[in-house]
Amino acid sequence: MSKILIVEDEQHQRELYAMELQEDGYEVDQASNGKEAVDMVKDNKYDLVILDIRMPEMDGIEALGKILSRDKKIPIIIYTAYSNYKSNFMTWTADAYITKSSNLDELKEKISELLTTRNQ
Amino acid sequence: MKRNIQIQLLMYIPDVLLLVLAVFAFVGMFNQYQQALFIVIGLLIALMIIRTIFINNLIRKLYTSRIIDIRTLINAFKKGKYKLRTEQPRGDDALADIHRDLVIVGTHFDNIISSQQGEIEKLRELYDSIVLSLNSYFLVLNEREEIIFANEVFCKKFQISLEYIAGKKIDDIFYFVTGRIKESIQQVKRNGSSVVLEKTHLLSNERISIIADIKISYITVKGENQIVLVMDDITNRCRKDYQISLISQISESIQHDDRLDHVLHTILTGVTSGTGLGFNRAMLFLKDEKRHILSGRMAVGPDTIEEAIKIWNSVASEREENNNVAIEDTAEGKGQELLKKVQTASFDLKEDNLLVRVLNTATSIHIHDASIDSRVDENIKKFIDVNEFVIVPLVAGNRTIGVIVADNKFNQIPVGVDSVDLLSIFAYQAALSIESYNNLEMVQDEMDKIQHRQEAIVESEKLAAVGRIASHIAHEIRNPLVTMGGYARRIIQQTDSEIPKGAQVHKAANVIINEADRLEKILSNVMDFTRSSPFILKFNNINEVIEDTVNLLRNLFQERRVEIDLQLGDDIPLVKSDFNQMKQVMLNLLQNSIDATASHGKIYVETVMRNKKVVIIVRDTGPGFEQDDIEKVFDPFFSTKVTGVGLGLAIVKKIIMDHGGEITATNRENGAEVQISLPLPG
Repeated sequence: MSKILIVEDEQHQRELYAMELQEDGYEVDQASNGKEAVDMVKDNKYDLVILDIRMPEMDGIEALGKILSRDKKIPIIIYTAYSNYKSNFMTWTADAYITKSSNLDELKEKISELLTTRNQ
Repeated sequence: MKRNIQIQLLMYIPDVLLLVLAVFAFVGMFNQYQQALFIVIGLLIALMIIRTIFINNLIRKLYTSRIIDIRTLINAFKKGKYKLRTEQPRGDDALADIHRDLVIVGTHFDNIISSQQGEIEKLRELYDSIVLSLNSYFLVLNEREEIIFANEVFCKKFQISLEYIAGKKIDDIFYFVTGRIKESIQQVKRNGSSVVLEKTHLLSNERISIIADIKISYITVKGENQIVLVMDDITNRCRKDYQISLISQISESIQHDDRLDHVLHTILTGVTSGTGLGFNRAMLFLKDEKRHILSGRMAVGPDTIEEAIKIWNSVASEREENNNVAIEDTAEGKGQELLKKVQTASFDLKEDNLLVRVLNTATSIHIHDASIDSRVDENIKKFIDVNEFVIVPLVAGNRTIGVIVADNKFNQIPVGVDSVDLLSIFAYQAALSIESYNNLEMVQDEMDKIQHRQEAIVESEKLAAVGRIASHIAHEIRNPLVTMGGYARRIIQQTDSEIPKGAQVHKAANVIINEADRLEKILSNVMDFTRSSPFILKFNNINEVIEDTVNLLRNLFQERRVEIDLQLGDDIPLVKSDFNQMKQVMLNLLQNSIDATASHGKIYVETVMRNKKVVIIVRDTGPGFEQDDIEKVFDPFFSTKVTGVGLGLAIVKKIIMDHGGEITATNRENGAEVQISLPLPG
């Protein structure tokens, strides 16, 4: 069973993703900001990280760098309400950049795609 | 003396005879010789008559010659001759005394006069030597204004002999005499007082030109009235003054002049003006790199001799009126033909003519006689149309940018070596001026380009700002929308499923409601920020606003365990303000402080009067503003908070600005501080 870390400061959204992904059969951990996420990556082994950009304490872009410096191969999906950061090269080190939507299909497809590639 | 005694003895002869006769008469009276008595009496009477006549004649004879002597003496005195005879007057009577005294007085006078004569002679010698040795020019005219004297330096300077000018009028010697000199001579004749004409231009028939301070005075010598002109030659001083002032004026005029034509005109005026380099005409050509030609740009100088004389006259009288040396615009309205001719002229840089040669070699050329000089081709000969001229290069740095041609077409004065040197130096200065003007123009062009670019940047910045704001709003709206949509889908999933979980549906609906509230709040914040400024009329007590807001937040303070410390001044006057808007300000500030302050922290609110302004200070014990953010905290959509829209402080600032106040954010030792100052009316 693949283990996913959701990093999102909006509590309701975070809970929604967790519910949906758990129902799809993933094991899910939650972090409410970048700092928590970096700490959790240190202590746990994740197959994939979903990362919001604007968060308190430590934003997603800073967290992205820190997570990758710990584990270069971990697939990371940036999932944000900002559509304009897609062109920011800082986000290019992530495996995917998806603009938030109430329809989670795009996110779910990308997760399964990345996990399939990773497991090959 | 002996003779005198004899004369006196003679005078007594009649008396002696009378006495003898009287004795006879007396004897006769008693001897009864009466006839004899009568004869004697008759003789006596006759004798007395004879005596009287004799004595009178004698006396007259004796005194007349002496009186004549005295009269002669007095007449000589009257004529100013005091020393005539060395012979002493005769006699020892009063007349002789007077005569002697007169002779002595005469001798005294004579001594005095002859001693003064020596003094006068010495003074005259001194005076002559002063007049002759002085560098000033002396000219003496008689009542009919004919020259009766000129000193040596005058004759030497103007290359004329005293014999030649004697009896001539000043018009005959000078090529032109300004009206001011003539007027001044008349004025001196009328009033008898002296007149001084400063910096007057004189040009002789021999084409010798000077600038002089002229003093004209009226004197009377031996009953004859004379006019004395003393001229101090200040040409060199003027020229130096002028050149210095010219250079500074040229650079000054370039700084203030945005037209190259003016700059060039100023330069050529310097070449042609009398106290400058004094050439009759000057033409300026500049190299046109693009068109590969030497193109005529500017010319200054008269077209005809009549114009030339007019210019000289006007320049001279202008100079008399103004003591300061100025660049005279000698060619105003004049020399239009020359200007036209030069401005339409151009020479190919490949052409081998004199102008191009000077340009290429950067060496000046002095043509003494174009008619026999093989270097001058027909084209140039026809163009310049004068036998003697000078061409100097305009060298700026290590390149030649053009040439100046100068000549004395109208007064035909030979061009001296020093004039050529001076012109070369001047051309060097002028070239630098032109070059710096060109550089200035280049800089101006660059500045214009930069300004255009800057405007474009500002424009794109504005667009970027709009984009940024749109992006912020989009982000703020997208988050609650995503959440609402996501939970709405959950509700559908649940209601579609066979066993709907009521609790989950309820929770999802609650989330949707909360997020809808959040959206509304965001929208009202945006609307608050974009609303137009209100018209503030009411006066409010700021302390009341603060207390009201603090009461409103009382629960939040308790919940976050943050202490509030109010230090409100007692004497705070009412401020023209909108109560609700000011409450919004305090609400936003206090909420920010609460969010930033950890539990058990403290928030201070203080009001004071400072410099006729009401000052509100809000300070907390939070981490303070990020140093990099301190400039941006009042920018719209700037937020460090997770839930913030980034409009809180921007709205605060807008309200304070609407109230005519000021707001600043600073970091204190342990926390952030926001200061608001509101003006008092009046």
